[in-house]
Order: sequence, then C-alpha cells, then structure tokens
Amino acid sequence: MANLREREDHRELNIGIGGDLNIDNLADDKSKLNFDTGKDRGSTVLGKEEQLRDKDMGPKAGSSIHRSLSRPQLDLSGAAIQGNFEEKDPAILLPNQSDDISHLALDIGGSLIKLVYFSRHENQPVNDRRRKIIKARLGITNFNRRSFPILGGRLHFVKFETAKINECLDFIYSKQLHRGGMDSRSWQTEGPNTESTVIKATGGGAYKFADLFKDKLGISIEKEDEMNCLVSGANYLLKAIRHEAFTHMEGRKEFVQLDSNDLYPYLLVNIGSGVSIIKVDGEGVFERVSGTNVGGGTYWGLGKLLTKCKSFDELLELSQRGDNRTIDMLVGDIYGGMDYSKIGLSASTIASSFGKAISENKEIDDYRPEDISLSLLRMISYNIGQASVVAKLIDIVISYLNALRFGLKRIFFGGFFIRGHAYTMDTISFAVHFWSKGQAQAMFLRHEGFLGALGAFLSYEKHGLDDLLVHQFVERFPMGAPYIGGNVHGPPLGDLNEKISWMEKFVLKGTEITAPVPMLSPGTTGLGGFEVPSSRGDSLRPDASKLNVGVLHLIPSLEVFPLLADPKTYEPNTIDLSDHGELEYWFKVLSEHMPDLVDKAVASEGGTDDAKRRGDAFARAFSAHLARLMEEPSAYGKLGLAHLLELREECLREFHFHDAYRSIKQRENEASLAVLQDLLMELDSMDEESRLLTLIEGVLAANIFDWGSRACVDLYHKGTIIEIYRMSRDKMQRPWRVDDFDIFKERMFGSAEKKPHKYKRALLFVDNSGADIVLGMLPLARELLRRGTEVVLVGNSLPALNDVTAMELPEIVAEAAKHCDILRAAAEAGGLLVDAMINVQDSPRESSLSVPLMVVENGCGSPCIDLRQVSSELAAAAKDADLIVLEGMGRALHTNYNATFKCDALKVAMVKNQRLAAKLINGNIYDSVCRFEAATSPSPSLSFS
Amino acid sequence: MESVGTEAANMGEREFKSCDRDDVSHLSLDIGGSLIKMVYFSSGSSSPSDDQKDSYLNDGTNTSIGTSNYNGLREKLHFLKFETSKIDECIKFISSKHLRYYGSLNPGGQDNKNLASEDNIIKATGGGAFKFADLFKEKLGIVLDKVDEMSCLVAGANFLLKAVNHEAFTYMDGRKDYVQINHKDLYPYLLVNVGSGVSMIKVDGDNEFERVSGTSVGGGTFWGLGRLLTKCQSFDELLELSRQGNNRVIDMLVGDIYGGTDYSKIGLTSTTIASSFGRAISANKELDDYRPEDVARSLLRMISNNIGQIAYLNALRFGLKRIIFGGFFIRGHAYTMDTISVAVDFWSKGEAKALFLRHEGFLGALGAFMNYEKNGFTDITHQFMEQSCEIAQDLVCKDEDL
Repeated sequence: MANLREREDHRELNIGIGGDLNIDNLADDKSKLNFDTGKDRGSTVLGKEEQLRDKDMGPKAGSSIHRSLSRPQLDLSGAAIQGNFEEKDPAILLPNQSDDISHLALDIGGSLIKLVYFSRHENQPVNDRRRKIIKARLGITNFNRRSFPILGGRLHFVKFETAKINECLDFIYSKQLHRGGMDSRSWQTEGPNTESTVIKATGGGAYKFADLFKDKLGISIEKEDEMNCLVSGANYLLKAIRHEAFTHMEGRKEFVQLDSNDLYPYLLVNIGSGVSIIKVDGEGVFERVSGTNVGGGTYWGLGKLLTKCKSFDELLELSQRGDNRTIDMLVGDIYGGMDYSKIGLSASTIASSFGKAISENKEIDDYRPEDISLSLLRMISYNIGQASVVAKLIDIVISYLNALRFGLKRIFFGGFFIRGHAYTMDTISFAVHFWSKGQAQAMFLRHEGFLGALGAFLSYEKHGLDDLLVHQFVERFPMGAPYIGGNVHGPPLGDLNEKISWMEKFVLKGTEITAPVPMLSPGTTGLGGFEVPSSRGDSLRPDASKLNVGVLHLIPSLEVFPLLADPKTYEPNTIDLSDHGELEYWFKVLSEHMPDLVDKAVASEGGTDDAKRRGDAFARAFSAHLARLMEEPSAYGKLGLAHLLELREECLREFHFHDAYRSIKQRENEASLAVLQDLLMELDSMDEESRLLTLIEGVLAANIFDWGSRACVDLYHKGTIIEIYRMSRDKMQRPWRVDDFDIFKERMFGSAEKKPHKYKRALLFVDNSGADIVLGMLPLARELLRRGTEVVLVGNSLPALNDVTAMELPEIVAEAAKHCDILRAAAEAGGLLVDAMINVQDSPRESSLSVPLMVVENGCGSPCIDLRQVSSELAAAAKDADLIVLEGMGRALHTNYNATFKCDALKVAMVKNQRLAAKLINGNIYDSVCRFEAATSPSPSLSFS
Repeated sequence: MESVGTEAANMGEREFKSCDRDDVSHLSLDIGGSLIKMVYFSSGSSSPSDDQKDSYLNDGTNTSIGTSNYNGLREKLHFLKFETSKIDECIKFISSKHLRYYGSLNPGGQDNKNLASEDNIIKATGGGAFKFADLFKEKLGIVLDKVDEMSCLVAGANFLLKAVNHEAFTYMDGRKDYVQINHKDLYPYLLVNVGSGVSMIKVDGDNEFERVSGTSVGGGTFWGLGRLLTKCQSFDELLELSRQGNNRVIDMLVGDIYGGTDYSKIGLTSTTIASSFGRAISANKELDDYRPEDVARSLLRMISNNIGQIAYLNALRFGLKRIIFGGFFIRGHAYTMDTISVAVDFWSKGEAKALFLRHEGFLGALGAFMNYEKNGFTDITHQFMEQSCEIAQDLVCKDEDL
C-alpha cells in the first residue's frame, strides 16, 4: 500500500538539467580603479582642445561625468570597430580604457558545462584626425546622448563536457579568467592576484564541484538561483539578439524578429533532466507554472537502458536513423490503416508510445536501437510540447477569468535536451501546433544551452550589459565554427599562427575530418572538448542542423540609423538567401572570386611566403564557412547576402589581411584624380539641367569600376580608367532600367507647379575607390555643395574589397580640392583640410563662406550596409540630413533597395551581375538604376520651406 | 439479488458466471489496441457450467459480471476481456455462444422490429471494429456495426455514473472512498480513458462531449516499455512487479540534484521526482543491473504521474470539477490509482480529486451496448439501470478489502 512517504515523492517537478552554476569574476578593486582613471582621462579632466587631440568619441567621454563611480565603466573614447580576431585583435577598440574587465560565468550541468565570459582587449591607439574633426564639425561633443553603462568587448560562449571538467578548469586558467580576466601578457607583469575570487553558481553542479574549483583555481562558488538565471538569460537573449528565436517545422528554420517591447508575458520551457515550464512576465518577474519529470533525463536514462548507448549524443544520433512505427502503436494500427478523422487523428498519429511492443513476441534485442531511440524521443518531445500548450491554454483561461487582456504571447523552448536536434524540434513544434490547433508555435533559441550561464553572468551587478540594445551587438563566427557545427567545443584559437597551422593541419587530415583536432598542448586550453571527428561522407551529419553560437561583440557606439522610416520592419537584405538556388548561386560567385581575391590579398602583403601561407589559410577558412552554410544556411543565424560578404572580409582580417586592395585603390585614385580636372571643366561648361544628368550618368558610369564584380574585373584588362569611364558614360541610354531621374530633377530645379528644393544636408554613401568616388561621387558632391547643400561623405570604417574607407576620403578630397575651389572651400569648412583646423575649433560654421563637406564612417567593414547598426557619428550626421544618396550595388541594391527613409533618397547603381539584374529589375547586366523616393512621411525635423 | 461483479483485486479469479447460450443477446465489443472488451446480456436460468469457455478466459483476460434480476428471470450483463492479439479466442468464444440473435432482442424481449436485418449485426467500437471487420464477417458472418469510440466511452461512463450509485470512488493513500454523485449535478466532467493511449474528453451532457486532449503515453506504453525492460509476460505480472519496486533507485529526485535539500523556492521537496529514469544516466549500470521491480515501479510512476498531470491541467483549463479515470490501464491497481491521485492532488494543490470507476475497462463496450437503445431496444437498459441501482447498494460493503 502506498504510504505517505511514497506519496511525497511522486510529485512532479523538474529541474533543468543538472543545474546551473555560474562563475564569474568580479572586477577586482584594481580594475575598478582603472576604469575610473580611464574615464577621467577620457573627458572630465581634459579641456576641449585636449579632447580633440584625444583619440576619439568625445561624446561618451562627456557623458561620463555623470556616471556613478560605484560602477566600473569602460572608457569608450577612441572606440572603434575592428576585425573579428579571436584574441589579440579585438573587435572593439577602446584605446583609452587602460585595463581589461572580464567576467566569467559557468553553468555546470549534468552533461555539459556552459561557460560565458566577457573579454576586452587593449588595443593600439587610433590616431585619426578625421574623427576629431567630424566630432567638432557635427557637434557631437554636445550631442545629448544617453549615457551608456559603458562596456564594449566580446561575450564568448563555450561548452565543455562535464565529464571532462579538467579541460574547463584548464581553459579558465589559461585565460586567467579566475583572476579578473587579465590576459596573459599583463597578468604576468602585475603578478598573480591571490585574492580569492567569488564565482556565483546555480543548480546542482555548484555543490558537486565547489571544492574542485576551490582547490584548483582558488575560486569560491556562490550559488545563484537556477530559475532566475534561466529567465534572465532568456530575457536578455530575446532582447539583445535580433534573430535569436526561430521556429522549426518540417526541418525548416525561420528566424523570428521579436519586438522587445512586446515580449512579455511568455512561456519558457526549459528541458533539462526534467522540464520546467515558467511563465515570464518581465525582468525578474516569473513563476514556475508547471513542469514534468519526463524530460531529457528520462530520454537519456531510459534510452541508455534500452539501447546501451554510451552518450546522449550517440542516442540522439541513433534516433536520426530510426523508424518509430516498429514500436509505436499508431492510430492506423488500431483503425486498420484508417484515420480517426472525427477527432482529428490521422492514421500516422501515435496512439500509444511503445504500444506495439505489447503484442509482438519480441524481446528487447529484437528491436533496432535506432527505432527505440526515435520512439522515445518522440514520446518525450511530444509530451513536453503538450504540457507546454496546456500551460498556455490554462493561462488563457486564467487571464480571461481575471479579465486580463493579454495572455502568453509565445512559447520558447530551451535547455540541453534540444541541442539543436532537428527531429526533437520538429516533434515539439508539431505537438504544440497540434494541441493548440495551430494557435501557438514553438520557438527555439539559438543560444538555448547558454540560458543559465548567461543569466548567471548577468547576475553580476556591474556587468553593465542591461542597457545595451539590440543594435549594439554584432555576432561574429570564429574560424573554427564551420568545423564544429553546434557541437561541444573549446575556445576559439588564439593567435594568427595557431590559426594558420590549424588550417594547414586540417587540410592535411583530408576531408574526412570535420571536427578540429586540438592543436595546443593538452592542459593549456579547453580545446580537447571537441567531439570525436566524424566521417563526412555523403550522409548528413547528425549535427548539421545544429546552430553555431558565435562571439558576441558588444559595441555600444553603434546606433540605429535615425532616418529609417520604420526601423522595426527594416530588412537590409534585398535577396532572400533562404531560397536555396539563390544561396548556391552566391556561393558559386564567391568561390569563383576567391583565387583572384587571394592573389590580391597576398600581393597587398608583399607576396611573401608568409603572406601566401596566410592567403591559403584564408581561402580554406572562408571555403569552410561557405560549406557550413551550404549545409545549414541558418547555422549562423538568419543569413543574408550582406552577412556573407561581411564574413569574407572578416576572414581576411582574421588572417591579417587588413586591406587587400590597398595598392589597387591607391593606383586608381591617382589615375582618376589625374583626369578629374578635365571632367570638372567639361561639367562646368554645361547648363544646370544637363549637368545634373551628366553627373548622374557619371555616377553610374564610374560605378562600373568594382573589384567585387567578376564581370568588371574582366573589363579592367581592356582599357584605362578614363577610357572605360567615358565609354561607359556615353553608352548610358535613357531611360535607364529604373529611371526616376526626372523626378529628382524636378525636385532639384522645380517645375511649373513646384518650387525648386534646396537640400540642407546630403549624406552620400560612397562605394568604390578610384573612378567611382573621384569621377562619380565627388563631382555630384561638388554640385550639391555649389547649390548650398552640406555634404557628408559616408565611407566604410574598415576596408572591404576596393571600397573607399572613411580614413582614405579626406586625402582624396584634399587632392581633388587642389583642382577645384568649390571643393576646397567646402573641405576647409568641413575641416578636411589642415589649414582649416584652427577655424574649426574656433567657430566652425561662421569661419567659412562655403557649406561644409564632411566625412563620416559608417560603422561597418562590409560592401553592404545594415542601417540598423551604424556608427554614432553617422547617426549624428543624419540628424540634419534631408537627402540620402546610396551608391553602388552593395549599399543600394543588395541591401537597402527596398528601404524607406524619412527623407528623400536616391539610389544609384549600375548592375554588374546578370542574375541580380534579372531578379531585381527584370533587366540585364550593366543596366542602370536611378531610384528616387521622396520622404515617406515628412519628418518634423526637416524644414522644407 | 445476484452477487455483484468482483472487485478489482479479485478480477483475476474469474468469477465468471456463465450463461445459457440460448439466452445470450445484445453482445457488443470494444476492440482496442491491446484488449477486446465484450459486454453481453443474458437471460435465463441455466447455471454456470461451461468448461470450454474457461480456456479462453484463462489467457490473461479478466472478467467481471454485472447481473440483474429482471422479470423473474436471471438477467445478467456480462463483462469479458480478451487480448487483441488473441482475437481468435474472442471469435471462438462468440462462436461457441451461438449468439443467434446478436444485436436483436432475446426471446423474452418485447419489441420486434427489424428482426431479420438485425440478425447478424453486433455493435462494436474501438479501432479494431474497423480493422477486424472483415475477420468477423468471414469467420462468424457477423457484421460489425461500428459505433464511434468516444460516443461509446461517454455513453458508458454516463450510464455507469447515473445507474450505479457507487460506481465512482476516490483512492488516496490506499483508502478507497465511494463518491455519491448527484445525477443532476454530474455534468460537466472530464473523462480520462486510459487505454493503450489516453483520451481526455470533456463531457457536458448525455451526448454532448468533446475530446479535448489525450496522450500517447498510456497503458500501451507501460506495458510495451515494461515488457522491453523487464521481460514480463503479462500486463498483470508487470503491475505486480511494480508493487514490490522502489522508484528511487532509477528516478532522479530533487534531492539528488540539490544535494539532499529541497528546492523549496518552487515548492519541490527533495523526494520529488525531478527526472524519471534520470539516475540511469550517471550510473555505470546496464539494464540487467536494475531490479525489474524497480524499473516497473519507475515506469508506472512516470506514466501515472504524467496522465494525472495532463488530466488535471485540462480540467483546470475547462474549469471542470470532476476528473474521472477509466480504461484498462488502471485495472484497479492500487499504486496506479494512488499515483494518479497524488498527481492530481499535487497539481491542483488539493483542489481536485481523481475519481475512478469500478467498471473502468468497459466504458466503450458498455457504450456500444447502450447503442442498441438508440435502435429502439430501450427497455433493457432502462430496466437494467433501475435494477443496478439496487445492486449498487450491496456493493459498498463488499469492497472493503480493496
């Protein structure tokens, strides 16, 4: 007979898998001190002139005065976005921040240890005169920005197997994460800090391994509540990462863009050993409304008994090849192959999990382990999906009873059980869809395994991450990403040499190896955490559908471009790469372009053996990324062409090719500048209206010079720049394929009905170096300046192909100004010429008769531009702008072709790709696009009259 | 008055009162995935004697009999089970009964419509009614008149709840309490039929109901998984094993995760099961290293718990105050009922109680039987209802040893 004791233990519950344990290093006193020092240095102490001489971003420095000293802050002055090198080459440069901050948080579960840590790196100072000028020019120092909790750096997500906890300890030790995260160069000089570091922990693992951490690393573990961590981790991810959540139906992932203002309440289902169903109403406001003891532990435990698998992943992999119909009793089995349609059950619905094992005279060994694993997986996934829906439905009832208007909006599933496993996700999705009669959809999280660890990380009061917004995060994927799929993995590789030798060894191993082999001596890093190499073959890798988690770069200086008409619905990419044909095409294009790019890159570094070695490594790394994305297009999140092109640039930078086209750009700039004077004379001889047409034609013609286009590279070998330019311009036959020129002209010059419009400030997003900028955009800028419009040239922050960068623009302008008074006066007014420096500082506007010509950086290092994440100086410059000119394929066609703006926008490009031409404008290669769109809604900030 | 159906614990004893073949009529079947449930009506005065029948019933089937005394004749409603995999035995049994009249009135009946056309028809429900229709036609020349499964379950349950005073009972901590349900206050309730799979049906009236939920984790899962894990040869053997088991050996408890402490913040005691079979993860043990008793126990807990939880949550969702569990998975098994009861109690924070039915396994078959009524044979059931009310009075004192 049951007794009371027994009764007690049947209560259900769940718990996420072994529990979360977070470890983190509080910045110690010393580093706090350093932050404060850095901050002071940044602004409060210095006068305005010194500020200008200082490296960078004055505005943040200015705002730092108001910060509380109790909060460690980073000095962002001088912040700049850099490449995506893993260790020594930070993505975000904070030259005025003198010390590293690092936080470490751990989640030690039953099978996996999840580790989240933050890193920030010292970096070589950027001494960029242009930035100082533009700050002064745009008045950024006085710009009333919100004050960031200033923290820039990178958030790393790393997994280890709990069984190999020593690798985790080694990793922490090698990164010196237990000491407050100083990197190995600095900690040695400062001497070991023997103070005990307190690390918060959550869940069961905290108890189990507390002594180990104490013994080996001197870390004290402090327990954080598990549910708290899960919820705060999920809240954070859903708000901070643009495409964190996705649906998964019938093998297809769709990323969901969530409005962070419309997130709560939602249901979080964490599937660990057991299952917790948590209703989340807000930050720190949640309730565990339900749960079940049938969870990941049940799958693995029962599966182990039934199949003799040695690991959870092995069991999951088995299910991949299983057929549950051999064991499950289906509706069709009962109904003789018929549906029970009256109650909506199809013949293939499982009527009874494992029900067929009843009637047959079979023993356990007579069943295939694959089939058993699949039946088990379906049973448990289905049950969880159902429990979740019921919880949601109950909430609807309760909400209704309490006259609450809004019930749960979404159901998110996380926890170790899912592991990005396609079948599991499909089953859960199906169950949710089925039981909710299509009213609810299951959503999954890319960082599913890291909820607890991230939550623990966030539990530190001083992390300062809370105030960062979605546009201030950039996720980048380290070189090793393609090889590890979503598997357990150790840290990214360290310096350049390691990366190269890793790539080389990878190649030596041949294509059968898909997981990297640890390169570093054991005991120094956690690299040994890689999965056993698996054979690639033709069969789909079981982990293929798993998603990679990249390094999260926190860049507080990024902002949403303020002139976007509707930032919420803005989608930068024009072409949807979820169309597989489209994806294949672009992969082919990029692959074909690779040898040429490698040649250029190697040449740019002097063609040395070292450069060749790096070039080969780059080619392999980028090819591997491409292969990974072909295999699972969603591996790195929602994939767009812009990402793909940026990935290429990042790979180049990863192997220290900082500017592969440097010499080409230089040569072409010089050649173009040499003929600029002739062109300007020709233009000046025309009347206003035909000059405007010639200018636009010139922009289109000059846009033909593009090293990103294979067709144009071929063309290059056939003539000189000016020849091609003139030939190309002469061949401009109107009407162009997209031809809004007359509307633009009417806007500029007026007509019988309309008055001419004088733009106050134009932002010119420029594309390529050479003829494109010099013979195309500069003359257009000059015309606008002549008409009294301030012009801001918007260039890339980092090199990408032969695109002109913001760093290079002042020099080009200065050179051009030698031939043109208009440009000279405007450049002086804009502070681009040295002579003007003093004027700028005194009284920038009144000192010149001309409207200014300025240069700002756009915040990215890609041929495309995502206007949700632009530099703060571009955002500042956009404030008074009432005209945007987007030029070139990358910025006007591949991205932003369909973007709408609060001000007038002109999109000008020559299409140098047959497929794009056919798809986008129903035209042909070398067709021209001149698209003009008036402001979508008159913005109050614009004064038209 | 006749003696009454055996109590659950004694079901295996086959207190089968056979009936005279001549008087058998109104046979109905519920052919499920694992079991065939049969209800038939007999009248006459013959004494039980049929040796031949016993052989069929020996094979893992249980019988219980409701009887009634009507018009001076001994009229009985018989409840029989067969394993679906041994359907031939069921067919032989029917054949041996020489059910001349099948669905038609017996000779003592009054109403004589459509006798001829009813001759070879019997009412049947469950998926097997479709699956085995040809078999019945071929072997017995019987046409199975398929009746919707859910309708049957509901009709059967409604009948039992209305007709038998002490049909429903609660079961907590080994204690069985019969519940008197006012007929007028019966609806709405949640009917949870735990067969191979589980159907959850919201019942709003005599023929008003909706299948609101269900789960594939049911009796078939217990038996199927249990068979694989323990090599038991029968469902009842597996149930018996579970009686002697200890689930703590294999289940991961909250205390296992939290170092023996409760996770009181969310109301979980250290003995709460955190993860069924969760301990099988970490131990270096194979299946053979576990006692089959413990495995059976954990499995039973997992499944009962899950059913109890989903049932309660659905009741909550629809604001239903009564949750009635039926179906063959339960089999009057104390620990099963206890586990389900505790799950309901836990999730409802004591607000809701699980109710069980004495005739739990025969809801569908009974419902199919009731279906004859629709065709005009109303008297039998009506009269049976009246009679059975009286019978029920006697039940109370006979079930104490449960």
